[in-house]
Amino acid sequence: MSSITIGKIVQLVEDPYQTVAEFKKHSNKKVIGCFPMEVPEELIHAAGFYPIVIWVGNEPVTIGHSYTMYYNCAIVRTFIDDIVRGRLRFMDGIVVARQCLPTHELAFVVERNAKLPYLEYLYLPALYPSKNAFPSNATRNFTIYEFKRLKNSIEKFSGKKIDENNLIESIKIYNENRKLLRDIYELRRKNPQSIRAWEMVSLIWSSMIIPKEEHSEMLKQVLEELKGREVLVGDRLKVILVGCMCHVPRSDILRIIEDLGMVVVDDDIYVGSRYIYNDVKLNGDPIISLVERYFSRIPPTLTKGDWEIDWGKYIVDMVKKVKADGVITLMPKFCPPHLCNYPDFKRTLIENNIPEVLIEMEHEAVTLETVRLKLQAFTESLRRR
Amino acid sequence: MNSKEYRLNRLETTKLVGKIFDKHWAELREAKQKGEKVAWCSGPTVFFPQSQGIKSHFMAGYSAYCAGRGAAEQVLEAAEAAGELSETCSYHRLHTGMVHAVLTGYRVKEEVILPIPDLFIIGRLCPEMSHYAEALFRRLGKKVKVVGVDLPPPRKVEDLEALGEFVENQIREVLIPAIEELTGKEFDYEALRGKWDLLKKIAEVRNKCWEFFKLKPTPWTLWDYGVGMGFLFYAIKPEGLEYWNKVYEELKERAKNNVPAILPDGEKYRLYWDNWIPWAFLGKTIRLLVKYGAVPIFGRYPYEFFPHPEYINLSKDPIKTWVDLFYVKAKQAAIMMPEFAYETIAKHVEEYRIDGIIFFSTRTCRMWNAGQREILNRIEREYGIPGVIIEADMVDSRFFNEAQIELRLQTLFEMIDARRKK
Repeated sequence: MSSITIGKIVQLVEDPYQTVAEFKKHSNKKVIGCFPMEVPEELIHAAGFYPIVIWVGNEPVTIGHSYTMYYNCAIVRTFIDDIVRGRLRFMDGIVVARQCLPTHELAFVVERNAKLPYLEYLYLPALYPSKNAFPSNATRNFTIYEFKRLKNSIEKFSGKKIDENNLIESIKIYNENRKLLRDIYELRRKNPQSIRAWEMVSLIWSSMIIPKEEHSEMLKQVLEELKGREVLVGDRLKVILVGCMCHVPRSDILRIIEDLGMVVVDDDIYVGSRYIYNDVKLNGDPIISLVERYFSRIPPTLTKGDWEIDWGKYIVDMVKKVKADGVITLMPKFCPPHLCNYPDFKRTLIENNIPEVLIEMEHEAVTLETVRLKLQAFTESLRRR
Repeated sequence: MNSKEYRLNRLETTKLVGKIFDKHWAELREAKQKGEKVAWCSGPTVFFPQSQGIKSHFMAGYSAYCAGRGAAEQVLEAAEAAGELSETCSYHRLHTGMVHAVLTGYRVKEEVILPIPDLFIIGRLCPEMSHYAEALFRRLGKKVKVVGVDLPPPRKVEDLEALGEFVENQIREVLIPAIEELTGKEFDYEALRGKWDLLKKIAEVRNKCWEFFKLKPTPWTLWDYGVGMGFLFYAIKPEGLEYWNKVYEELKERAKNNVPAILPDGEKYRLYWDNWIPWAFLGKTIRLLVKYGAVPIFGRYPYEFFPHPEYINLSKDPIKTWVDLFYVKAKQAAIMMPEFAYETIAKHVEEYRIDGIIFFSTRTCRMWNAGQREILNRIEREYGIPGVIIEADMVDSRFFNEAQIELRLQTLFEMIDARRKK
């Protein structure tokens, strides 16, 4: 079986700007950009809009640095750069969710400089364990209030009410897409050599930027194409990708990983398994169901503040489950939640005798040779084990 | 070139501060040995455990103290030994480094050692104020309890009510019961009210002192103010009121006799200092400034310390007072956010007759940096007041490059001179 659909999907993410602009024309819907990682896209979809997830720009930041500091992460800097340079004219609005300070700055700069028809900021609360409830009633009630505020705000922008049935329908569409992607993940776990790391990332990333209905149709074909496929040959070391936060992992780094004889068997990244991990329940009030999805404690989310959940242990379990040889951490440069959580994570992996290597992803200046050397040394150490 | 040799003329009263704060931190250090409970707090939560008689540490206050005592580098080294990465918030690293030092015997100056707490209280104005406690909870074997209050910084005035209600509900539902559980007694609301009473008195005196910043030449500097700021936050105590009364008396005296903060005859440049005060580099920075006759007069971060004591209503529920101060009325949680920063800075530059602005941009903390470039552009455009961005850090010396800072300051002074010649 050939891989025509996967090839098409990989092409879609090569130029996400062009892709979204074309699908917008085709769908005749307004495009609403959602800042990763927790905006409930289903609400935006139910309002008749075309939700997409914002990505790290593909060009070096230029005039954007007149608006934001260079020591903010790449997604914030490149988005600001893209928007002030007029590269995101196809976008009719954005929803930013509070999860770190740079997202606050992003909303501020966009509001002042881009004059998008629609901008909403969602105060997503940290999910702190409390004695009697998770999260506390105060947090639960406020999150519901915020999701309802977002719903009202979108309705105001669209000029029509979101019907509960429409919302349930949107949730079904999203759940189906997540399920199909999870099926592909399951296939990879069983036969990791059947799909390349960049292809897998492309499958998820494309789901974030093209209409879910069309994407799901493509995924059904992909599932057929993947049966019995083997693209990576030889005795390969199985690794898990973790971290990366809001960012898309760089394709050049993924290629190096495979060139060095490794194969990605699973991941804990947002443009990866995290995006599709949890479905939205279909019983009860759909807004509450969306809120409940946000309250999911697994996979652990570094921005949520749930100290009882141990990210390191979660990865240890994942390593054991898929019998991985090691872990590759991809850390976006200047990402405070990742920086703060990394030492504990590393310590847990060491305690469990799991090899791990940290690769820092810079937007403008990754020295690939250094990355290759580091990964090569990592591979050699894995082979010696 | 300067035709004069400028010298700093510090307020005499500020020399009293060191001993009082040494005592404050020593009491905390020794509390466990005396069988007292200890809490570590981030954000504006410290008032609550203190009101219950718990000896309480305050994250930013401790960081300033640690840096002021010249111990930041040692503790940051301990953090690195514990696996911390250098781009991580330096306040976060000071705390994880301190725990590493305590657990492993890593050598740090004795006067900055902190006791391992009985309770971590998170006040999450920024995520790092939370991450440090989350990390330490795990590092301490999940034995020390953590309680968290999320404090979302507002973007719009219309959001303040809802955010204030959310925070109030968390304080009542989560924080107060945790404090009661730790101490085994009902929360002392009257003690909290008493704290607001004292704070109100201190803030009123301090506000009278702020008036002296409007004088030309100024009789004091922002650094003179900064060293006593702790009395308006984590060390609200009678000695603080006494101290600020003395500052006020000295300022009155200086004003009467026209004694300037910069000798021989006052400042050449009046500067606004935006962002954290560089606690580890106070001396270095002020020397650089004074060399050119420049003086930091006021700033957004120092302004955060209860600028509106008139909103402290002692007949009100003391938790509601907290909400009024941080959200609904005084909006202190908003001051650090870019949406509110422009108005604050614009008001201050006029009130304090500012010649130029230093946007101190802290490499490892993004709280006050947010929107600085945009604000700089707007203030320059609308008020004709030039500004520069100085990149450094609150406490990490690896990000403090004196030569680069001086070059930027020279550029600022040239811009001010050019404006004066117009």
